[in-house]
Amino acid sequence: MELFIGRLHPLMVHFPIGLLVVAFILELLTVGGKRAGLRQGINWMVMLGAASAVASAILGWFLGTYNDYQGTLVQSHQNWGITTAATAVACAVLLRFTEKGTLSSLIPYRMALFITVSFLTIASHLGASLTHGEDFLTEVFYQQEDSYDHQGSADLLAELNQMDSYSEMHLERLNLEVRAIFARNCYQCHSENKQKGELILEHKRGVYQGGESGEIIVAGSSANSELYRRVSLPADHDEVMPKKGKVLKDHQIALIKLWIDQGAYWADRALQVFPEAPLALAKPALPESPSLGHPVDKLVDSYFSNNRINWPHVVDDQTFIRRAYLDIIGLLPTPEQVADFRMDQEKDKREKLVDQLLNDHHNYTQHWLSFWNDLLRNDYSGTGFITGGRKQITDWLYHSLLDNKPYDLMVQELVNPTADSEGFIKGIKWRGVVNSSQSPEMQAAQNISQSLMGMNLKCASCHNSFVSNLTLEQAYGFAAIFADSALELNRCDQPLGKFAKPAFLYSELGSVEADSIRGRLEKLSQVITKPENGRLYRTVTNRVWKKLLGRGLVEPVDEMDQPPWDAALLDWLAADFRESGYDLKHLIKIIITSRAYQLPAVGYDDVAKLASGKYVFEGPVPRRLTAEQFTDALSQIAAPVYYATAYSPVQEEFSTSRIWHREIKFDRDVLPEPGERYFRYVFDLKNQPASQASLLLSVDHSFELFLNGESLAQGNDWRKVSKLEIADRLNPEKNIIAIKGVNEGSIANPAGILLALRIIQQNGDTLLVTSNTDWKSTDKSPPPEWMTLNFEDDNWSKVRNYGSKHWDRLVTLSFQESERPFARASLVRQHPFMKALGRPSRENVATTRADQATLLQALELTNGAYFNEVLKDGAERWLSQNNLENEELAESLYLKAFGRVPSKKEIKTVTQTLGEQPSKEAMQDLLWAMVLSPEFQFIY
Amino acid sequence: MKELFNARRDFIKKMGTASLAAAATTIPSASFLASCSKAPVLPATADTVILLWMAGGMAHTETFDPKAYVPYEKGVESKRVLSTFPKVPTIVDGLYFSEGLSAIGQVMDKGTIIRSYRSADLGHILHTRHQYHWHTCYEPPQSVQPPHIGAWIAKEKGSLNPVIPPFIAMGQRFTVGEAEELKAFHSAGFLGSEYGPFLIPDPSSGLESVQPPQGMSLSRFESRYKLYRELAEQNPMLKQGSDYQQESLARSMERSYQLLRSPEAKLFDLSSEPMDSYEQYNTGRFGLGCLLAKRLAMNGGRFISVSTEYEPFLGWDTHENGHLRAKRMKDLIDRPVAQLIKDLDQSGHLDRTLIIMASEFSRDAIMEGRPGLKVKDQVNQPDLIEDEKFYGMHRHFTDGSSILMWGGGIKKGFVFGKTAEERPCSSIENTVVIDQIHQSVYHALGIDPETHYTIEGRPFYTTPDGQGAPIMELFG
Repeated sequence: MELFIGRLHPLMVHFPIGLLVVAFILELLTVGGKRAGLRQGINWMVMLGAASAVASAILGWFLGTYNDYQGTLVQSHQNWGITTAATAVACAVLLRFTEKGTLSSLIPYRMALFITVSFLTIASHLGASLTHGEDFLTEVFYQQEDSYDHQGSADLLAELNQMDSYSEMHLERLNLEVRAIFARNCYQCHSENKQKGELILEHKRGVYQGGESGEIIVAGSSANSELYRRVSLPADHDEVMPKKGKVLKDHQIALIKLWIDQGAYWADRALQVFPEAPLALAKPALPESPSLGHPVDKLVDSYFSNNRINWPHVVDDQTFIRRAYLDIIGLLPTPEQVADFRMDQEKDKREKLVDQLLNDHHNYTQHWLSFWNDLLRNDYSGTGFITGGRKQITDWLYHSLLDNKPYDLMVQELVNPTADSEGFIKGIKWRGVVNSSQSPEMQAAQNISQSLMGMNLKCASCHNSFVSNLTLEQAYGFAAIFADSALELNRCDQPLGKFAKPAFLYSELGSVEADSIRGRLEKLSQVITKPENGRLYRTVTNRVWKKLLGRGLVEPVDEMDQPPWDAALLDWLAADFRESGYDLKHLIKIIITSRAYQLPAVGYDDVAKLASGKYVFEGPVPRRLTAEQFTDALSQIAAPVYYATAYSPVQEEFSTSRIWHREIKFDRDVLPEPGERYFRYVFDLKNQPASQASLLLSVDHSFELFLNGESLAQGNDWRKVSKLEIADRLNPEKNIIAIKGVNEGSIANPAGILLALRIIQQNGDTLLVTSNTDWKSTDKSPPPEWMTLNFEDDNWSKVRNYGSKHWDRLVTLSFQESERPFARASLVRQHPFMKALGRPSRENVATTRADQATLLQALELTNGAYFNEVLKDGAERWLSQNNLENEELAESLYLKAFGRVPSKKEIKTVTQTLGEQPSKEAMQDLLWAMVLSPEFQFIY
Repeated sequence: MKELFNARRDFIKKMGTASLAAAATTIPSASFLASCSKAPVLPATADTVILLWMAGGMAHTETFDPKAYVPYEKGVESKRVLSTFPKVPTIVDGLYFSEGLSAIGQVMDKGTIIRSYRSADLGHILHTRHQYHWHTCYEPPQSVQPPHIGAWIAKEKGSLNPVIPPFIAMGQRFTVGEAEELKAFHSAGFLGSEYGPFLIPDPSSGLESVQPPQGMSLSRFESRYKLYRELAEQNPMLKQGSDYQQESLARSMERSYQLLRSPEAKLFDLSSEPMDSYEQYNTGRFGLGCLLAKRLAMNGGRFISVSTEYEPFLGWDTHENGHLRAKRMKDLIDRPVAQLIKDLDQSGHLDRTLIIMASEFSRDAIMEGRPGLKVKDQVNQPDLIEDEKFYGMHRHFTDGSSILMWGGGIKKGFVFGKTAEERPCSSIENTVVIDQIHQSVYHALGIDPETHYTIEGRPFYTTPDGQGAPIMELFG
């Protein structure tokens, strides 16, 4: 009987909550003598509220005492509940006194009411924590809960509850639902991965067998089943499952009870716990919308009307051209290009511009290369190269983009590679023994899954995944395709004695079994690129959309099972891409020519809103320039940031060695110490005088060049190749080139000389003299005649070839006039400046870049020596090349950097900064302020 | 201490609310990672960590765990050589170090030596791979990038003094061999570059990293910033409403501006150190790194590493001339390390500063790898030593090495674990692995051992799967 009385507590508590809270609100409405008519009602509510609060407290005491609740949470709830009841009574008494006139003011009563409601809130919250679990409010933030369809399981319970008998189909649904509950709530501890209490709930055998304390279910009798007992205990009970403070929902417990009572039927079907996107693409029909011609806009139009959004106006020409340039070729438009575009009166000029840019093949390639390098984990430097455990695919990738290779073919060549493209599936191998979840074949499986299929195989390569339906067996099956011998399954690096059967993640697409790796890769390349594999095409479509509009149709872009904000749009685009012949440029064009792309940018003050599953598309998101875009833009408007590339799509004309004095410590070659070094090289024209002789020279850090004893040139910037014509200074026979080189800095650091001299002799022969290991050097200050032919250098030593160990291609030496004044950042080896700006070190696949600034980045932009030098150089160029009045200078700067003319106010700021006679420093500071301003930093 | 607090108060005043907000920028950038740590914060015994990194594999038998001394003579058998130096007593009764480390021996009454560290077995040795493992607790490669221990600490504890970046790494250049591997672990990994290392390869030019660009006066620096603000305010983008990316840029710029003009930057200026103190530390770049570490630790540094620098076949990486080179390395470290401990002790900072001295593994004259798991030899060691060049520890040994710790709650004058007296000189008592070392450091700092983030759907702990418990015996 006591127990029964106690259980009325949850019912009763809602009275004081409702009554007192409403009374409080109404009371607020009467403040200042208004709405006197409410008074009578409020009085009743307070009285009844106080009475029910007391009743609740008493019932609660019964429940706590006779129902064996324990723990601090219960204690606090009880304390707060009793306090609430007491203050409610006090409040009612005060009210009564006021009514009678004993008290002249309502203030004491009102304060008491306020306190009562405050206490009530606390007590109710604690009570709710008891029944629903402490993280009841916050758990909705966990992604796993987010994707769980509670309504579905509650509906199933309701449906089954109405029936008298169950068909096999019903029992199957019931069983799968119960297993889904296990998967979400119990697998973390009770699975093959982690067999806590020796209990495994993942499969029939485990559930029927039970754990260390015996069987957990008695089919047909939930009352005798340990499983049911444990999940139905109060939240605060020590033995409650899943764990203290976190209990199952009532309908989940009821489903488990029902399942056991109905005989604990086990279905043969595999469980799909997590929602999965369909594999095939839907082919949505385009909605009717006569006013809109573009298919993307027809779909967006229907999305907009469903979400009650009106089409905003598209952006103006100036904004559009900047976006299009940066998005397609990664460069800023020049002021002339902006002006021409704005003047153009053609109706389809935007589409024409897009075509024109997409046809600028090299620039397109050099922009999009970074996107693909990130995605395919390709870089010019990084771990693994040192021990031959890694290979670049740069040349293959460059030419694939240059030729706009169909995407299905690209994928085929990545998974079934040629020598040029094998770097992707070869992974990164460090010297030594590697964890089984990071073997090269597992890396191949992981990377293909992530990059190409938008799927996370990383968890499943160690154990069955907690965040998707992927199993260890699937991961090993996929990896086995790339293995040259049978691949044994390992769970958390422990061998299981079971061997994987090669299979692609979606076996329905076809078999990949064959006797050799080659054979399997060949089959995989066909299977994975089948048109039926919609996921492959949806994934890349989503990535390109995100690249161009700042937020994917699906987020995160590596979790393609998440619902898109518009499924029809995504599938239409992916299907259209497929039908275009897997044409990446077509995909980019169809997006950029849509009005959706051309809408004004919509900023978000909170990144969580943007990432949320409730995101609603209203236009593109402002995007920070990538490290490469920023670097190239800086090169365009200030001075070249980089001069040489790590990869050059054109063959080098000749090869040279990067030489310096050989420095030795403990019998080992080491980096050069700072200081002066002297270099000599003698060559003989053998009486065939030179008709033409061009010399190219770059020295890190500075040099003085002598030819036959005469000083010819000096330099202190290795990035700028000195080019000299020296035919008339050459002797017909022996000649000597001598260089005094200086390595700067306070500690040992890289230094080197790169030299090439091409001599065309009068008999038509060509002689090429280069820096090579026949040169001689010394670190001792030599006598004054050291640079002449007469000097004996017998005690000098041979130089060392420092090769490409520290530099790759440091500068481009070419006798041809360079057509490009700066090196595109995408082709440059990773560098601290770009790293600070967010270019990832491509040790892993990188599918998104950090879009927020960091302190270390800001420091690099504020006092970084490298950046500072570029700006200094840029200031000199502006002042020497542009002989302009300040106002014109301001206009020219704004046009170049922002693509617009400055306002009057801005002209004034610039003029004031520069002063009458612009100094280099003032110009440099102005450039700095401009490139850091958001208008430069963002695509908006 | 008082000065520090005054300095901090001033600084906070100077920074104003804008930059206090900036200090919080780290929250949104990591919000995709849901921290799940729920256990109560443990009381910390240390606020600051200094890691003295003996890069290249320091032989324990030649330094802090000497064995039988076999002097050089022509024709001596390699297999007889366990130590090439005699042992000498330290200030702690019964504790002996190898000759050449007497200054450090004299401060052992303030710290603990662990003699039983066992490195991971990673097969065919690559130094940087072991270093990666030591610093991140994870064996490379990994499917997501693990953070350096300094980055974890920067993330969990933040700056102690807002002017000093919470993770400073000194002494290592990235232009040497294996540079890419070195870069790979000098990283905040998935925590984001906000927590990455502030790199100072040459401590004597540390000031350059924390003041306005070279050749720029403070007034020019200030007016340049004013100009930036002025242009930014006229920016048409602002009219489109707030944007988190734009705001994060403005905040970071503000914070960097404040940092670079704060007078506290002078901490990084070693020329302001009294001459005799400077000379006491100055054994080279490593010694000066210890000096800068002292100055930072006394003023609110959080995690500071000072490396003897790794460069293949140099420093502690002795593939030949091992005896001679070990002697030189001892000359490099002995005086400054001892001085660092004395100075911090005298100023009272040692109580809250945990100093760790360690190396990726040890060396041996004969054994490559460890007993039973012999790996590919990299050094040719003759059976009979006919040339002094072959006298020393030239092979990589992973089965026992020493870690020294001082301050921050660590026991004083304590020896933990031991290695065998005869070859192989493996750990034979209280063997310690890297997870325990990391957990001990986190324990000292009051960082929950269960700390983890969910990255790509997977919980990622400070140590793999949260394994390893702090070694409670180390704490006083």
